[in-house]
Formats: sequence, C-alpha cells, structure tokens
Amino acid sequence: MNAAPVILIVEDDEGHAILVRENLELAGLNNRIEHFSDGQAVLDFLFREGRGVVREHEQMYIVLLDIRMPKVDGIEVLRRIKTDHELRKLPVIMLTTTDDMREVKRCHELGCSVYIQKPVDYDRFAEAIRRLGQFLTLLLVPPVNGARS
Amino acid sequence: MTPLTELTKEQLIARVEALEQSLARHDQDSSERKRLDNQLLATNAELRDIKASLDEHSIVAITDANGRITYVNDKFCSISRYSREELLGQDHRIINSGHHPKEFFRDLWQSLRSGKVWHGEIRNRAKGGSLYWVDTTLFPRLNAAGEPEQFIAIRTDITQRKNDESNLRRFATDLSERNKELETILYTVSHDLRSPLVNVQGFSKQLSRACERIQVAMTSAAEGCVPVADLKTPVETSIPQALRFIHAGVSRMEMLLAGLLRYSRLGRVTLTIKPLDMDLMLAEIVAAMTFQIREAKAEVQVEPLPGCLGDPGQTNQIFANLLDNALKYRAPDRRLSVRVSARVEGAQVVYAVADNGLGIAPNHQAKAFEIFHRLNPQDSNGEGLGLTIAQRIVERQGGKIWVESQEAVGSTFFVSLPTCTSTPLPRP
Repeated sequence: MNAAPVILIVEDDEGHAILVRENLELAGLNNRIEHFSDGQAVLDFLFREGRGVVREHEQMYIVLLDIRMPKVDGIEVLRRIKTDHELRKLPVIMLTTTDDMREVKRCHELGCSVYIQKPVDYDRFAEAIRRLGQFLTLLLVPPVNGARS
Repeated sequence: MTPLTELTKEQLIARVEALEQSLARHDQDSSERKRLDNQLLATNAELRDIKASLDEHSIVAITDANGRITYVNDKFCSISRYSREELLGQDHRIINSGHHPKEFFRDLWQSLRSGKVWHGEIRNRAKGGSLYWVDTTLFPRLNAAGEPEQFIAIRTDITQRKNDESNLRRFATDLSERNKELETILYTVSHDLRSPLVNVQGFSKQLSRACERIQVAMTSAAEGCVPVADLKTPVETSIPQALRFIHAGVSRMEMLLAGLLRYSRLGRVTLTIKPLDMDLMLAEIVAAMTFQIREAKAEVQVEPLPGCLGDPGQTNQIFANLLDNALKYRAPDRRLSVRVSARVEGAQVVYAVADNGLGIAPNHQAKAFEIFHRLNPQDSNGEGLGLTIAQRIVERQGGKIWVESQEAVGSTFFVSLPTCTSTPLPRP
C-alpha cells in the first residue's frame, strides 16, 4: 500500500492533461499520476474490467474528472462511481471547461467532492491548478479495497 | 228553467240583469280574442325575425328523432356544397369527414338522447371532399313524455380559427426546435470551444518559456559557439510539442466553428417535400461512392426499396452519411458488407442500413447522435457532426433515426420517413 493517493486524470484532451500534470508537479505534488483519455478507460480501470491495467487493492485514489469525453462522459463516470458501494468513497474532483450552473448542480447532486472550472486564460489556469495541487496535498483519502460490491 | 210568467218581479229583474251582464261579457271576450290575435301576430313576426337573423349568422339544420334532416338553411347548403334536395331526408353522415373516432359520435348521441344539449367542434366534409370545421350546438326538442322528437343544430364556421391554431402549434414546435438548436450551440461553445483555447494559451506560454531559455543560452554562450546542450530540450522537445498543440487547437476551433455554422444553417434550409424514388437515390449514392467502396473492398447490397416523402437533397445526405459511416467504422479483420433494406410500418417506411463493422457498445449508443461526439477520435477523421445533422434532417421531415448495434458484430441504423400516401407534414 502506498501512503500518497494516486491521482487519476481523466481527460480526453492530451494537451490539457499535460498542462494539468505540469502544474500539479510545479505545486510540489509528487504523487503518482495516471492519465485516462476517456470515461470508459477509467471505468474499466476502477471496475477492473477490460484488458488494460486495473486498480490495486487497498490503494488510495483521487479522480480529476473532465465532463465532455468520448464514449462515456464525466457525468456518467461520476454516477457509476457514486452508486458503487465501494467506489463511492473515492474523492472525485470535476475539472472541466464549462461553468454551466446546471452542470455544477448535477455533479454535486451526484456526489462530486469539488467542482473546478479550467480557466481559459493560462495564468489563471496555472494558478488554479497549482492551488488545486496544494489542496490535494492536504487531503486525507480512504483506501478502496479490492472487492467490488 | 221556470217559465217567465211564473217569476216574481224581483226575479225578473235579476234575470234581466244577468242577461245584460252576460252580453257585456261577450263583448269583452271578443275584444280579448282580438288582443290575443294581435299578440300572436306580433310573436310570429318576432320569431320570424329571430329566425332570419339566426339564418344570417349561423348554419342551421333540423332533424327528426331518427336524425333525418328535415330542414336546412342556405348557409348549411353553401358550406356543405350540397343542394337542399340532396340533404333533406339524409342523416348527417353525408358530411362526416372521418376525422373523429366512432366514440366521439357515440357520446354525442348518448347525450342528445338523454335530452341534454351537446356542444363541441366538428370537422365535416363538403361535397367534393373539402374539409371544414364547425362549432356546433345540438339542441333536443322534447315531447310531453320528455323524449326528443327533433334535434336543432346550430353551427358556426371555425375553419379559419382551426387553421390559425394549427399554424400556431407549428410555429411553437418550430420555435422550440430553434431553441433546442440554440441550446446545443451554447453547450458547444461553453464546452468544446473553450477546450482548444486552453491549449492555445497554455502552449503559447510554453513557447515563450522556451524562447526565454534559448535567449539565456545564447547570451551565456561564448562568441561564435552554438550552445547545443542548452538548446536541445527547447528546440527538440518543448517548441515542437507546443506548436503541435497550438496548431491542433486552432484547427479544432476552426472545425468546430465551421460545424456550428453548418448545423445552424440546416434550420434555415427550406425543405421541398415530395415523393422520392429511393431505389434511384441509393443507386446514385452508391455510384458516387464507388471509389471509397472499392478501396475498402466492401460489398454493398441494396434491396428493392419503397419510396417515401422527403426532401431529395437532404434525404440523399442522410443515406450518404450512413454509408460513409459504415465504410469509416469497418472492422479491420473482416470484409465489410453493407445491406440496405426497408419495410413499411403503418404510415412510415423504415429503412435499415446494416453493416458488420466495429459496432457500438450499448452504453455508448445514446451519445452517437450528440453534436461533435466522436467514439474513437484518435482512430479516424471526422468532425462528429454527421449523425447529428442526419437526425436533424430526419426529424424536420417528420421521421426518426435510431441505431441498434452490438460491439464487434455490427450496427444497423434505422431511418423512418412518411410513406408516399401519407399527408405530408407542412412546414413554414
């Protein structure tokens, strides 16, 4: 078991993923970071389905989740996580381009931990992600165990 | 009666007085009758005028207890285009349009037979087939036993109002469609257009940081020497990566803007709905795609197709897009086979474009028609607009589009459009 939670970046835009990762690292975050490029990929990882890498037993994870993605969107990923007996313990941080209040409301109703908009202006974007990185270092996160509900 | 000779004087006087009174009463009676006669004449005149004004305003008919027409006014004849002779003795089925269900008339008769007034709106058919709407009041005249012996029908022509109402409904539908379109555009602008902007801004920053590093390396390098080691990362990694993301972001934004314009212009295209020869249309589409079909080594089989009502150009676009998708999302490990078939279901023809391609997993199917949604963006080119546009076109033509698919087995896209014999959906 690892002491620091693994950060799962679920983001279909490769450029965004690079920029988020860079700025998290600039904030001094040295957690392991995994990148998934669509909703289905992270569901396969968390629910241990499909042929790829799957999550580890008793590991702590934090999900950074984009909304608009191919195959399965972030809202559906959030819904699946929050309705699973075991996985609902996962902190899920919505990190997305839209500030549409209906989306914000929906994500909170479904049980997201935090909703953050990616600012378009890069200085503000970098600042937001850096602060998010500092915030993540403060979080106490429960491990999720291996057995699926 | 006692003979007069036997009466006393008092009795005689009383008898004479009685006679005089009765005479006076008789005079009074005859003036009363005259008064009544005059009253009757006045009432008659009044009734005649009321009837005349009713005839000026309304469509009037009277039937007997069995519903046989015994009276029609001129307005009835003129709106129904039947002569009085054609109408008298008939029942109202002569103007039945078939628009209302049987229950409608059953309820109407039930209420009339129980002596109640009926009020409602009826669509009738005139001689020659034209249709008209009347606001109708049916009044049963009851006999002494309380049973209807006549029905009086008073109607007002409301055809224009009904047309206005249906126009209004169509405008409302159209407006809500436009609103949906605006919502989609708003959603896209707030989600999809912002994403590439983040990259353009972010990687521009990376570009300027790389320039700063080159600057530093140049100023600190000895005269005439190229500081290869310091330049390696910015020149070989940072700058190309930044340029790649900036270019990709700009092209994506360009593509999104072009797509949004294409999508929003769709709503303004006037449709020309007419009967379509679908055999001919599919043959033309397949002929136009011969090159791609041959390149994909695909087999395309088109069964005989019934015609439908639609806009030629737009309908062509739907099927061309479905065939193009079948070619694009073919499975690499088997020869692509596409089959186009159709069946008639009530007033709709349901066309099916079936392939044995990659297929779509059940939980990904709902998003297939979403604007700018792409299942595997890295595997093929496309803007994620084809099915969104196809759906829009089909719905504007009064049809539906949907998919049934199994991953790794294939997809069947269904398009339903009105049959040639159905009433075309009027569009403003």
